[in-house]
Amino acid sequence: MKGFSKLLALIALLGTTAATSAEESDVELIVSKANHIAFYQGNDGRAESRMLITDGGGNKQVRQFTILRKDHSGSDDADQDFLVLFSRPSDVRNTMFRVIKHIGKSDDRWLYLPGLDLVKRISSGDKRTSFVGSHFFYEDISGRSLSADQHELLENTDQYYVVKNTPIDPTSVEFAFYTVWIDKQNWMPTKTEYTDNAGKIYRRIEALEVKDINGFATATRMKASDLRSGGATLTEMRYISYDIGLPDEVFSERSLRNPPQQWFKRK
Amino acid sequence: MALPRLTSLLLTSLLVLALPPAFADNLITAADTSVNTDGWGDDDWGDEEEDKQSPFSGFIEIAYGTRTKSNPWLDRNDTLNEARLRLEYSDYFGQFYFGYKGDFTVDDLTWDGPFIESKTREALLRFSPSENSDLYLGRQVLTWGTGDLLFLNDLFPKDWVSFFAGREMEYLKAPSDALKFSYFNPLANIDLVWTPKFDSDTFIRGERFSYFSPLANDIVAAPPRLSTEEPGSKLDEGELAVRVYKNINGNEWALYGYHGYFKTPVAFNPKNGLNYFPKLSSLGASVRGTVQGGIGNMEVVWYQSEDDRDGSDPFIPNSQLRFLSGFERELITRLTLSLQYYLEWTQNYRALKKYSPLPDKEPEEYRHLITTRLNYRAYQDKLTLSLFVFYSPTDDDYFAMPKVTYRLSDTWSSEIGMHLFGGTDDYTFFGQFEENSSFFARLRYSF
Repeated sequence: MKGFSKLLALIALLGTTAATSAEESDVELIVSKANHIAFYQGNDGRAESRMLITDGGGNKQVRQFTILRKDHSGSDDADQDFLVLFSRPSDVRNTMFRVIKHIGKSDDRWLYLPGLDLVKRISSGDKRTSFVGSHFFYEDISGRSLSADQHELLENTDQYYVVKNTPIDPTSVEFAFYTVWIDKQNWMPTKTEYTDNAGKIYRRIEALEVKDINGFATATRMKASDLRSGGATLTEMRYISYDIGLPDEVFSERSLRNPPQQWFKRK
Repeated sequence: MALPRLTSLLLTSLLVLALPPAFADNLITAADTSVNTDGWGDDDWGDEEEDKQSPFSGFIEIAYGTRTKSNPWLDRNDTLNEARLRLEYSDYFGQFYFGYKGDFTVDDLTWDGPFIESKTREALLRFSPSENSDLYLGRQVLTWGTGDLLFLNDLFPKDWVSFFAGREMEYLKAPSDALKFSYFNPLANIDLVWTPKFDSDTFIRGERFSYFSPLANDIVAAPPRLSTEEPGSKLDEGELAVRVYKNINGNEWALYGYHGYFKTPVAFNPKNGLNYFPKLSSLGASVRGTVQGGIGNMEVVWYQSEDDRDGSDPFIPNSQLRFLSGFERELITRLTLSLQYYLEWTQNYRALKKYSPLPDKEPEEYRHLITTRLNYRAYQDKLTLSLFVFYSPTDDDYFAMPKVTYRLSDTWSSEIGMHLFGGTDDYTFFGQFEENSSFFARLRYSF
């Protein structure tokens, strides 16, 4: 009897494993497609962005910047170069932020402070901290490694795949898990909600407007809300173009001091 | 004392009003768009006809600093007492970039000069003569090297008075009137900086801050202020600085060279009783990259004291080897720790001791210095707390700088801090400034 029940248990276990891996591969495909749509469309791109930051007390701040992005050749949805040139507010005008995003190791980051002519290298640190004082995190802007979470398909509705993401290293993040609604039509993650250890949703990111740009579905209006403080940041993107042929040399120390007008200037 | 401060503030405001109308309009537009942002009026993307944002910007700032205790050598207790208007303009004309930054300051502590002091901080023309070169021409701030408040290969002018007084960190770097040529190629990039007329540091000369004078063998202050021989103005008396650099697998390597003068008047001419800037040549190298989840850097430089190569002249500094090693990483979220170790190794030390009029007060052959920086950001990066400490075990002295920076809004920001000097002896690098410890506060309106 004992041996038989053991066998049954084994069969049952095998069965669940098989079922899980089938489901797993589905959900892995879904999150990797959504990741591609959110962060890796085209080989390169340019966009102008502005953020309206409203804190819990209703105080408002603005950030305006132009982003250049290029994916490293030969790497599929992995390493990327970024240049971010600030134009507003006036105290950060002409400040440039350069990032080489690496998957699997920490990013390289530089900040150019024009007042001091200083190229400051910054340790990449926690990616789940405010990006330029907004409610968006660095990770919301440049993407979170897919291998950092376990993915589980919660729901498959007519319109959305609803995926639950549980961190593999819970100590490295401030959430217990987050849930993403991925639009079935265009694979765009349209809503993300972060749940804390008490089971309460405390943070939300939404794509409020998605436009077709050069054939790529692009979130042009996004909102990050801190549900605890009541603060939120609204981001708008304009003057977006993909596959503009950015040369590798643009992503260099030279550009920090001398931002290449050919690419930063609005066409 | 309150009256001049108030007057200076009013005058700065008047200065704004007295600007040419076009300039003033632009200022107002710039200020308006940054305030009127609720509801995203579509105007301030600078769409089509309105084109881009205003090329004008700047700030108005009031700053006050006072000693923590009275200084027996100086009457006034305030170390900073000024109102400042900064105007900036930057724009492209075809391929040419032009940048201007000017400071108009009413300074209650200046000894001479006009009531409103105007200083051009930047008047720069930049363009690319070829696809792989850039030319920077005019007045400009220049920086290179890897140290944090320690400069080895960066021999561009610094303003120590501004730094000590507690002006914004930007003012630690003084501008150069220079020509910079940058050449980029896959082998290595080259920067060549020619400063036709030597630009010295703005050094401590006894006006706001007292210092140790080896000549008097005591702490001294103005009057009289430290006077120097004017640096030469012939073309062969300028400065030449070069950097060759390359990023290899995320590590930034650089070689440096310099030919010019010590940036402070560290030599003394017994014939006329004046201090002067002796000749200096330097060669150095640095590397910076990611280490152990943080940023590590190393830098070395050889300072050749051209007029005292054997170290026998007591009035001219000896040659030195300087070394720096640093590490920075985020300890916990938003709290960053940086550590630096710095060494000054004085050459021909026996000769120095033998010929020095004050052999007991010379720094040790190996002068060690350790720095620590703690930086904490809070409230959506609006609040920054920082503490920077220099400590020298060989000199047994220190310089501590606690600071709180608060960004109230996009337009208003403020900073308060302390500069605390101390040490066992009154003749060491930081110890001599013990009586100059101060508080400071600044309030800034940016437009």
